[in-house]
Amino acid sequence: MKNPSSAAPGRPSTGNGAASLSRFARKIPFDVSSLGMIGALIVVMIVGQIIYPAFLTWTNIGIILTQNAPLGIVAVGMTFVMISGGFDLSVGAIYAFAATMFAKIAMDHGLVEAGLCTLLLGIVCGTANGAVVALWRINPFIATLGSASIFSGLAFVYSNSTPQTPDNPNFQILGQAFWGPLPIAVWLLFVTVLLGGFVLSKTVYGQALYAIGGNETAARLSGLRVGLIRGSTFALVGLLSAAAGMIEASRLAVGQADIGGTIPLDAIAVVIIGGTSLLGGEGSIWRTVVGLLILGAITNLFYSLAVDSNVQLVAKGAIVIGAVGLDVWSRRRR
Amino acid sequence: MHQAESPATVASRHENAVTISARDVTKEFGGVKALKGVSVDFYAGEVHALVGENGAGKSTFLGTLAGRVSPTTGSLTAFGHMITGANPRASRAAGIVAIYQELTMIPARTACENVFLGQFPTRLGIVDHSKMRARFEVLCQKFGVHMDADARTDTLSIADQQLLEIMRAYESAAKAVLFDEPTASLGESERARLLDIIRQMKANGTTIAFVSHHLDEVLAVSDRITVFRDGSVVASRPTSAWTKQQIVTEMLGSELKSTLQQRPLRPTQMPRDLLKVSDIAVAGLLYPASFVIRAGEVLGIAGLVGSGRTSLLRALAGLEPATGRLEIDEVEKPAPRTPRAARALGIALIPEDRKGQGLVLSRSSACNVILGDMPSIARFRILREPVIMKAASAAVVNYGFNLNRLSAPARTLSGGNQQKLMLGRWHHARPRVLLADEPTRGIDIGAKTEILAALRKAALEEGLAVVIVSSELEELLVVSDRILIMRDGHMVDTLDCHSDDVDVERILHSAFAVHAASLHTEHA
Repeated sequence: MKNPSSAAPGRPSTGNGAASLSRFARKIPFDVSSLGMIGALIVVMIVGQIIYPAFLTWTNIGIILTQNAPLGIVAVGMTFVMISGGFDLSVGAIYAFAATMFAKIAMDHGLVEAGLCTLLLGIVCGTANGAVVALWRINPFIATLGSASIFSGLAFVYSNSTPQTPDNPNFQILGQAFWGPLPIAVWLLFVTVLLGGFVLSKTVYGQALYAIGGNETAARLSGLRVGLIRGSTFALVGLLSAAAGMIEASRLAVGQADIGGTIPLDAIAVVIIGGTSLLGGEGSIWRTVVGLLILGAITNLFYSLAVDSNVQLVAKGAIVIGAVGLDVWSRRRR
Repeated sequence: MHQAESPATVASRHENAVTISARDVTKEFGGVKALKGVSVDFYAGEVHALVGENGAGKSTFLGTLAGRVSPTTGSLTAFGHMITGANPRASRAAGIVAIYQELTMIPARTACENVFLGQFPTRLGIVDHSKMRARFEVLCQKFGVHMDADARTDTLSIADQQLLEIMRAYESAAKAVLFDEPTASLGESERARLLDIIRQMKANGTTIAFVSHHLDEVLAVSDRITVFRDGSVVASRPTSAWTKQQIVTEMLGSELKSTLQQRPLRPTQMPRDLLKVSDIAVAGLLYPASFVIRAGEVLGIAGLVGSGRTSLLRALAGLEPATGRLEIDEVEKPAPRTPRAARALGIALIPEDRKGQGLVLSRSSACNVILGDMPSIARFRILREPVIMKAASAAVVNYGFNLNRLSAPARTLSGGNQQKLMLGRWHHARPRVLLADEPTRGIDIGAKTEILAALRKAALEEGLAVVIVSSELEELLVVSDRILIMRDGHMVDTLDCHSDDVDVERILHSAFAVHAASLHTEHA
């Protein structure tokens, strides 16, 4: 179920009018308190349009979506992890490892084999994370900080620290080709968002994630397999990170182990800016989409205004801390 | 407290000075008036009890004194200082210490360090441990308890931790102590000890405010009782001018038709054995216990905090590394080691800590209800909104839960309604055995009756076996068919509540190895 109508408590409690009102309230797919982030997005768009007249053109919007498709796909997975109360810092390493592996296998074998092996790699890495977190009860922050180092190191060893450049021309289809009006990568982002949103809001699995993130003990007492379900979110984000890495390798026509450094912070930033709780139990995919659009739009403006990339790093960090501060502040008020 | 003004004035209330004074205090939370012009005076050397149903405003009022809640209008004076706005430090500086049900101990530090937290005795700027320990021993003597100064606080019982909390207030020379439900998590003898301590503090001239749902206790310890209803003070009189029935009448605004006056009816059919428990044990907490739970029966478990009653319940729920065997439908299984294994056996638990362990507060009421069993209402693992609402409505409708609140987050509900969600969850999931740990704790009187009646009904009409652990012996007595008694980790007795000679005194005598008389000394 979604999180219908924060207005509910104030409603009159009897009568048909109230019942139809509550039916109406339930149709609103989010609670009113979360409108803030949509407001922020609108402000960013208006300001963007003023200082950069080409901002709201189809071409520019297409660019924003294309550039952020891999990040968005990772962020969808990160949303699952964070709603269940976890955290994953190894997504960047898996992303880079996947890019490297996809390119290297594509040099000697078919693209399909390369793709399947890479996705499998993502699942294996993610499952390893999940197992460490669920079975050994290691704090996800530390577990994935450590595993990020392992995956990254393995990627360098595997590629002998050299960029992998397959000469197969089809290698670039995934990241550069169009299907209809939009790049394939953007379609993949759409599919991931829709599927992710559906699973999270409409399935038993999604409900279980919210329950585990919201109150682990309550979930355990209700008979849910807490460890297994929480672990599975890491496998999912591993898979999606690998897919994102493949798209990036294909877009750049090269797979190398030193990419993806900003992916963990960016993915977490996107989720938090959207308003998904850092503590778990609250959030949704549509929030992550809003977060992605905000961060994507800001980054786009920075580039179009030729802001120094180091200054961009400073600004992005400040935005993340600001968003978390906002989350903490709004939580304290209720 | 040590430097209390003059204990001699205790004798006559009217000679006592007003120490804390509230005038026309109102508080609005987003348009809802939680306090509607409350004026109360507190006197030195007097225990002033504040009673009322949940939501009557007594805790909010206490919060304004403690500086946790800032009043919308009105004035508060304490010991000559104005208290303005939500500023706990200012209240503390004025001499007010609040003790809440939730403890503020640091788990990994020792008992002694927690008592002296923030006020360590020092020598040349270095914490003087021997001095600290000596003062701790003095405190223990004063309170008539034995406690290991070097024990890590998280190894102590809740009752002992609460005692440390009170010692801390005592040590800080508080001039006024506010107690918010201090006895809710205590067993009978710990309660008696706490009440003694309160009497002692009062004799020293301390001003004491006391919020409790436990009216016997209020009558036993207080000098003045003020009743809150709907955010207003409806009556305030010396305790000698009150009876329990009068208090309840004022609290509810009308005569309480208590459905809890009578003993439960004996089940019409001979109940059959549902669950046979053999030698269930938890190392260090629970010695092997064997008993039978029958279908359609309510089994009460009584005992002190730390007597093993909660360990027994937790062992059945799969929350302890328990040994022993369970037999359900003539199939023998080892004792469950995980809640999931317990659920597979048909055993479900309503935990004592509803908010911390029972509900997902951020989620809607409906989501909380279906949490106990989602696959059964899903199609291809997909849950549809109308199906969720329908299942949740069906589960809670009989408990008098307002169905319009099903979409509201569980966080926004009162304690009674939250407990109804827990009942609804298990009504929906249909276990065979329902365990309830302190099911009426922190719930107002009206809702208490409803909850107990619902548990009783679940047993009688649905054929569940219901097991209830409670510190409220009178409640246990009216709701249970049998009461199983624990002491020091042993199962010591089983009483049949349908026989005439079972009453609270009998349980106390048998279970706590103390005479009931010592509990109600002043009240009687």
